This record gives sequence, C-alpha cells and structure tokens, in this order.
Amino acid sequence: MLDVRGVVAGYEGGDVVHDINFHVDAGEAVMIIGSNGAGKTTLFRALIGLLPMSSGTVMFEGADITGTPAHLVTRLGISFVPAERRLFPNMSVHENLSLGAYPSRPDPETMSLVMDLFPRLAERRRQRAGTMSGGEQQMLAVGRALMGQPRLLVLDEPTTGLAPKLAAEAYEALGLLCDQGLTVLLAEQQVPLAMALCDRGYVLESGVVRTEGTSAELAENPEVQRAYLGVA
Amino acid sequence: MTANILDGIVLGLQFGLLAAGLTLVYGLGGVLNLAYGQMAVVSAIVILFSMNAGLPALPAVLAGLVVGGLAGLLLDGTILRPVYRLHGEARVLLSLLLTLGVAFIVDGFFNWRYPSAGLSLRIGGGPIRILGVPMRAGSLMASAITIVALAALFWFLRSTTLGRAVRSVIEDEEGARLVGIDPHVILRLILTLTGILAALVAVTRSMVAPVTVTAGFGLTVFALIVTVVGGLGSVTGALLAGVILGVVSTIAASEIGTFLSLIILLAAAAITILIRPSGLLGVRG
Repeated sequence: MLDVRGVVAGYEGGDVVHDINFHVDAGEAVMIIGSNGAGKTTLFRALIGLLPMSSGTVMFEGADITGTPAHLVTRLGISFVPAERRLFPNMSVHENLSLGAYPSRPDPETMSLVMDLFPRLAERRRQRAGTMSGGEQQMLAVGRALMGQPRLLVLDEPTTGLAPKLAAEAYEALGLLCDQGLTVLLAEQQVPLAMALCDRGYVLESGVVRTEGTSAELAENPEVQRAYLGVA
Repeated sequence: MTANILDGIVLGLQFGLLAAGLTLVYGLGGVLNLAYGQMAVVSAIVILFSMNAGLPALPAVLAGLVVGGLAGLLLDGTILRPVYRLHGEARVLLSLLLTLGVAFIVDGFFNWRYPSAGLSLRIGGGPIRILGVPMRAGSLMASAITIVALAALFWFLRSTTLGRAVRSVIEDEEGARLVGIDPHVILRLILTLTGILAALVAVTRSMVAPVTVTAGFGLTVFALIVTVVGGLGSVTGALLAGVILGVVSTIAASEIGTFLSLIILLAAAAITILIRPSGLLGVRG
C-alpha cells in the first residue's frame, strides 16, 4: 500500500533522516519506534508533503506521490494526525469533524461511526475544541482524520501529553479501527503500547532504520529490550 | 446626542465592513494590504465613469463591484507572488511595503489624471425619522446595504463549507492543509471577496458623502485602526470595533472638531491595545 524508498529529508540546517526504506501493506498496523530526536516526526512530515524531501520516492497504492503537497495527499486517502493535533481551537467539535471531510459534505455514516468510537465527542458536539482536555483533543484529532475516510491512517506519537490510562484508551480505540480493516502507520516512544497493537515495526535511531521485524521479533531483540522496553 | 450616535453607527458599520476585509486577509495569510482603500477608490472611479458614459446607476455599481473583485485577484496574481514565498514577520513586512507602493502609484495616477473626480450617489426621498431624529435617506440606504453585506459575510463564514475552510486556515494553517484545504486558493478567494467588499464600502460611503480620488489612504487608515482594535483575524471584532469607533469618532467630530476626532480615534485605539494587546476579539496574539 505504502512503499517508501531511499527517503532523505530535513530542514535548512541539514538532513535529519537518511536513506529510509520501509513499507506498509494493506490491513497492517506498522510502528516506527525511536527515542526523541530520532527523526520520526521529520520522516512523517516528509511523507505527508508538509516538508520537502531531498531525495527518495514515496508510492501509495501504486502511484508516485513524492513531493505531492499535503492537502492533495490527504485527498488521496492518507490522513495524518500530528503530535500537536492541529485542531481548530475556536471551532466546535462538530465543525472540526465536518472539516475532516473537506471538500465533501460530511458523510453521516462516517460521522456516526466516529461518534460511536468516541462517545465523548458526541456528548461535546457543541463545545469549542480548544477548551477540551488533552485526551478529548486526541480523540477529536483522530476523529477528524477518520472523517476523510482514509485508507491509511498515519499517527505521530498519539499518546503525547496523555496520562497512562488515557494513552491505553487511545490505543484501545486504534485497536478497534485496525480490527475494522483500517491500515495504520504510527510513530511511538511508548513502545510497549505500540507493540501490543502493531504487526511489525522499524527502529529509527539518529535518522536511520537500525533494525526491523515483527513485533514478537523486536520484543525478543536484546537491544530493543534495553533501549525501549526497560529490560536491564 | 442621539443623532450623533445614530450617525456614528452608520459610519461604524461601514468601518466594520472595511476592516472585515483587511482582517480576513491578514488572518489568512499574514498579508497586510495597505492598498485596500485604493481598491475602493478604483471601484468608485469606475462607477463614476460608467455613469458619466450614460450607464444607469445599478449596472454601474455592479461594474464597480466586479472591478473591485478583479483588483483583489490581480493583487494576488502579481504583486503578492513574491510575498507568498516568505513566512512570518518577513511576509507581513514585504506585503506592507509592496501594497503601499501600489497605493502610492494608484493615488498618484488619479491625482494626475482626474484630480477633482468624486463619486456621489444620490438617494431620493426626504429624511426619515428614527428615534425622533431625522435621518437622510442616503444614510439609511447605506446602512441597510452594509448590514445585509455583513449578514451575508457572517452567514458565509459560519454556515458554508468554504466559509468554514476560511476560518480553519485562520485558526491553524497546517491543520487546514491536513484536512485537504489549499491555503493559497482560500487566500485568493478572500482577496477577491474583500475587493468586492471594498467596492461596496465605496458605494455606501458615496451615498453619505462624496468619495474623492484622494480618499484611499483615509479609508485604509480607518480600516487599519478598526482592525487592530477589533483583533487581527476576527470579523466579529472588526464589526464591534467599527461601531464603537464610529460612534466615538462622530461624537468627537461634532463636540470637539473634525481635526481632533482622528487623534481621539487613535487614542481610543491605543488605550484598547494597552489593555488588551490582542484586540477586543483577536484570534492571533
């Protein structure tokens, strides 16, 4: 579904990620794990078209989407939920969700699916997004992304700023989405949570893919255990 | 006093509409359009010449509105191109300088070619009494048009998909891109729309007093003061500040004098900003 080859990207000061290769197949949940500053956010921003790539190609469902601007990538069927969420704070929950379907009118069926997944959003339809708690804002960000009926959902650190209980709840919701057949790609520092959800993963260190494997293989890897699972 | 307040509201509604145009463009793209008053003047001159050429008032006004919209589109396609390549403060500064240049050129040209031209639209009918005060038919017509235009603008922003998209870009440009909105397309649309609003302000002003070729900078300065007081990026704030400053300005002009009224207006603006740095209802701090 998504095929990333030789991606190099960064900011004016220099490249942050080097020669990144990975792929996500339809129906899979794939994680990119790594510590702060490993380049996860830079990689995602480049894939999604928010940041220019120095080189490399990105294929989505057989089409070359390298260098496509973010607003068009979204319309192609990839929804991105950044760590900062990027909600519209002075707009209501309902308006935020409606805009997720842009440029179409919001599909009522998708709207009720999102409301079923996050009943809190249904209770707070009229509340302004900026006045909600961190957990509710994360639900809204995922809900808004789902309103675009994506075939691939990309999440950057979905547990940012969430208490452990809320982080676990967020992953429960993602699990339900995966069960319904949605393809998911996520970056995470909270590795145990991501491992429980995802089929496969890649370990990103200092801007390069250090190792890869199924979640089970990575859980057995001594280096991964030491660095990300707190096993001495 | 009642007469002054009513006159002030008439003026303030127009200030509000003018400032709404400026504030939307700034909130959307960090572009400060100092040629805004000149867009109104260009439309006024087009209406004047169309009517001199024998066109009836209504088609002439429509032509003026179209030219106002085209002026916005033209700004977007030419002088603002290099501005869009910059970000943050540099973008604000370059847009300010380039549009100021456009304003000087337009002003200079009109002063040279048509120094005494001025648009006055006369609305027939005698004065109508409102709250015991006789109001001129022109003032009432101008207010009615302005109120309808403001209501249409609010409806567009609140209730249409495109209007929501406009607000979303003002609130979080990256968030807007992530839901599939192209901020540049939205900005082009709004520049065109605000050009039409500027033309509409020229039309309604000319129902109360002549709009001369030199009116451009005055309109821009008023719009700028109202925008700053109302809060950058907030249309509701622009309307609120427009009405307050319109009333303040009219009372000051009648009780103290026209010259001092501008100083009092600026003082009122400065005090607001000292108390609330982001304006009455500012979106961006």
